[in-house]
Amino acid sequence: MERQKSSKSFIIRHLVRIIVWGSVAFILMITLYAWHLSAVIDKRFSARRWSIPSRVYSDSTILYPGQSLNPKSFREKLGRLGYRGFPHAPMKKGDMYENGSALELYLYDLSMPSKQRKGFPLRFNFQGNRIASIVHRDTGEQLPLVELEPEEIMFFFGRDREQRRLVSINEVPLHLKYAVLTAEDSRFYRHHGIDPRGILRALYTNIRHGAIRQGGSTLTQQLAKNYFLTPERTVRRKVKEFLMALTMEVMYDKDVIFEIYLNEIYLGQKGSIAVHGIGEASHFYFGKEVQKLTVAESAAIAGLIKGPNHYSPYIDPERCRNRRDSISQDMYRNGWITKEELEEVLEASVNPVGYSAYRNKAPYFIDYLSGQLPVFYSAEDLASRGLSIYTTLDTQVQMAAERALKRGLARLERANPTLGNSPPDKQLQGAIIVMHPKTGYILAMVGGRDYSVSQFNRSTQARRQPGSAFKPFVYLTGLDEFTPSSLLSNEPKSYEIDGTIWQPQNINPVAENGLRLRTALARSDNLATVDLAMKIGLKRIVNTALMFRFSTPMKAQPSLALGAFEVIPLELARAYCTFAADGVQPYPVSMKTVVDENGRILERRHLKIERIIPPEKAYMMSSLLRSVVEEGTARSLKWRNITFPVAGKTGTTNNYRDAWFVGYTPDIIALVWVGFDDGSSVFAQGSVAALPIWAELMSALPQYTPGSWFRKPSGVVMRIVCSQSGQLAVKNRCPEPMEEIFLHMHVPGEYCRFHK
Amino acid sequence: MIYFRQRIGWFPLVWICMSLSGCATVMPAPAPRPLDGSAAVKTEESISTETKPDPRATASLQFTEQGRILLERGRPDDAIAILEQALSIYPNNGQNYYYLAEAWLTKGDILQADEWNRLAKTYLLDDPDWTKRVREQRVRIRKFIK
Repeated sequence: MERQKSSKSFIIRHLVRIIVWGSVAFILMITLYAWHLSAVIDKRFSARRWSIPSRVYSDSTILYPGQSLNPKSFREKLGRLGYRGFPHAPMKKGDMYENGSALELYLYDLSMPSKQRKGFPLRFNFQGNRIASIVHRDTGEQLPLVELEPEEIMFFFGRDREQRRLVSINEVPLHLKYAVLTAEDSRFYRHHGIDPRGILRALYTNIRHGAIRQGGSTLTQQLAKNYFLTPERTVRRKVKEFLMALTMEVMYDKDVIFEIYLNEIYLGQKGSIAVHGIGEASHFYFGKEVQKLTVAESAAIAGLIKGPNHYSPYIDPERCRNRRDSISQDMYRNGWITKEELEEVLEASVNPVGYSAYRNKAPYFIDYLSGQLPVFYSAEDLASRGLSIYTTLDTQVQMAAERALKRGLARLERANPTLGNSPPDKQLQGAIIVMHPKTGYILAMVGGRDYSVSQFNRSTQARRQPGSAFKPFVYLTGLDEFTPSSLLSNEPKSYEIDGTIWQPQNINPVAENGLRLRTALARSDNLATVDLAMKIGLKRIVNTALMFRFSTPMKAQPSLALGAFEVIPLELARAYCTFAADGVQPYPVSMKTVVDENGRILERRHLKIERIIPPEKAYMMSSLLRSVVEEGTARSLKWRNITFPVAGKTGTTNNYRDAWFVGYTPDIIALVWVGFDDGSSVFAQGSVAALPIWAELMSALPQYTPGSWFRKPSGVVMRIVCSQSGQLAVKNRCPEPMEEIFLHMHVPGEYCRFHK
Repeated sequence: MIYFRQRIGWFPLVWICMSLSGCATVMPAPAPRPLDGSAAVKTEESISTETKPDPRATASLQFTEQGRILLERGRPDDAIAILEQALSIYPNNGQNYYYLAEAWLTKGDILQADEWNRLAKTYLLDDPDWTKRVREQRVRIRKFIK
C-alpha cells in the first residue's frame, strides 16, 4: 500500500516537474522569440519606414499682363494643377471661377527650392487671348506677374508602385482619429495590442450571422500583419501576429503606433498606383491637406479601410455614403461628435475631387533626365528617398509638341498612304526638341511617336544625316571671308572624292549662274553651298563643327557641306541655340534642382555659358536664316499662321530619308525631325514633312512668340548694295538697290561693277 | 514765246542739261538710303524695331530685383536661380546679365562673370548710366583675372 502511495506521488512529482520545466522552457522560448521579433521590429522602425517615391516636377509657369495665352492649353494646365471650376467666386485654395472675360483663381501654396508663397485669390482679366491685368482679389493690387506651381510629371516608383504623403500624428485632426478608431478599433487606447473583448464580440457577431462579418484584429495587429507578415491565413501566422502586436505595444507608445498605422494603411487605387496612408488619400479623394478634412470627409476615408475599392466614392458613391453615415453614427454613440456634427455629416453628399489616372507625362524627357541622374542617385534612392526633382519641362509645350507630332505624322500618312503601311514598330517616326536658346532649358522633348511602342529616344539617341539643316555651319565659316552679298557660283561642277567623281545637284533647278550668299542659303542651293565650302576649305568647316560640339565624326569631304555626316538631333538643336544666344552656347539643361524630403537642396544646376562665336556673327546668321523663312525654302510658314519673325532652316537628305526643320526666335527654338528608323524614304522634303509640324507647334504657344527679334550688335552695319553685283549700290544707277548687313570689318569698299 | 512755252514746256531745256551732264565724269556715290520708299529691298533689320515697351520686360525686371536683393543678402546661388528665370522671360533684359555677372563674381567664378558682363555690355549699350556700371564691373572682373 505504502509502495503504491510512494509510486503515485513519484508520478505526480515527476509530472509537476515536467509541467514546471515545460512551462519555463515554453516561456523562455516565447520570450526569446519575442526578443527576436523586437529586434526585427526595431530594425524596421528605426530605419526608413516607407519607400517614398521621388517626384519629378515641371518648371513653374510665369504669367504676366500683356502675355498671350493659348486658352485651351492654359485651362488644361490649370486642371492638371488641381484647380476646379465652381459657379461662384473662389473661396478656398484650388477654386476657379470663370466670369465672362475674367478668370478668378484661388492659388495653391507655392513651395519650391528657396521660394515659398502662400496661396491667395486673384483675378485675371483677359482681352481676347491676352492677359490684360492680374489683380489680387483681397487687396485690389495690380500684380506685375504671378507664378503657378510646378506640375507633378512623374514618380520614380519602386516595385510596389505605392504613393504616400507622410503625416505626423499631430497634424491629424481629432475627428479623423476618432473616425478611424470608430471604424477599426474603438478600444485602441485601452488594450495592450490584443483585445479579448473585441475578439469575443467579433466571434459572437460572426456566429450569429453565420459568416465572417467582423474582424477582431486591433490596429496594432493590423499594422503587424501589413508591415511584417504575408496575407496567408494560417494559425502560425496568426500566432506570430499576436506576438508581434504585443511586442510592439511594449516597445512603442500608442501614438507612435497609431501614426505608423495612419501612414501605412492601403486606401485605394489611382490607376496602377496604390494609395497608402491618410495623407495621400485626403489628396486623392478630397484634394486637400489632411488638416483640412471635414468630419464627413474623415468618416468617408475611415470607411475605406475595410474595403478601399468596394467603398471608394469613385466606384460607388452611394455605398461610400452609407458606410460613412454608419461610422458617423457610431462616432456619435461613442460621444466623439456632437448631434449637430452628425446631422451635418448625414446631410452632406460625398464629393470626391476627381483624378487623372497616373501617366508619365513626358516619357522621353524623363528617360533623358534619368540618364543624367544616376550619376548622383541610384534607382533605389529614387524609389525610396522621397526626393523632389525640379526640371525645366513646360508641360504646355510638351503637350503641344506631342500633339503636333502625332497630327503631323498622321497627315503625312493620309497624304501618302504608302507611308502608313508599316507595322507599328516600323512606322513613320518623328522627334521634337524645344529649348530656350539662352538658358539651354529643355522645354519639351518628344523622342518618338508612341513611347509604349518604342522607347528609343530619337531626340538624343538617333544619328541622322542633317542634310541642308547643316548648311548654316558652312555659311558661318564662310562669314570670315564672305559677306551676305558675296556672289557664289551656281554652275554644276564635279568633285573627286577617294577616286570617285561626285556631282552635287540642286533639288530644284536654279536658273542663275551666280547667287548672293544670302539667297543661296535662303534657297538652300546645293551647288552654291559646295562652291562656298570649297572656297573656304573643308577642314575649316570640320573645325566649326567641332567648335559647336557635334560629337559625331565628320570628314573634310565636299558632301560635308550638304550635311552628309550624321548628327544627334539634340546636338543640332543645341548648335542652333548659339545663333539665337548671341554666340553663346548653352548646355542642354533638363534638371534644375534636387531637394530632399525635408526641403534641403541637394543638387542645383546653374546655367554656365561659353562664347563660341562673336555676337556679330550670331546676329548675321539669324539674319541670313530669317531670309530662309521670308523668301526661301521655309516661306510656306507665312501661310501657316506664323506671322512673327523666325529664323530657320529646312533639311532633306538623299532619297528623302530625313526631313528636318529647325526654327527659332530670341525666345524659343524647336527642332523637328521626321523619318523612318530603317532609313526608308519619307517622299517629302523638310518643308513639307517637318515644317508644318513646327508651325502647328508654334501656333499653339503664343506665350513664347511675342514677335520680338534680335538686337543688332554694334559690330554689324547696314549698307545699300546692288542686288545683282552684291557691291555698294550706285545712286540712280543700280536698278535694284537693297539693304544688306555686314560685319564691321567686311563692309564692301567697291561700288557696283555692273552699273558704274 | 508764251505759246512756245505753253506747247513744249521746259522739256528741251531739261533735255539739253541732262545731255551735257552725261558727258561729265560720274562720281559713284553710295545710296545713303533707299532711292524711294519701295525701291530698295529691305532686310528684316529695317522692318522690326521694337518701339512699344514689352510687358515681358516689366515681369522680368521683377525677378531681376528679387535676384538683386538675394545677392545683397549674400545668397548668390538663390540669386542666380531667380535671375535665370528672369532671363527665360525676357532675354533682352540687360540688367539681368549685369546681376548674373555680379552673382558669379560673388561666387568667385571669374570666367562666368566675364561672359555675363560681356552680354550686359551688349544689352545695356543704349543706357549711359548702366553702361558706366557695366564698365566698372568689367574693371573689377579684370582685377580678379590679373
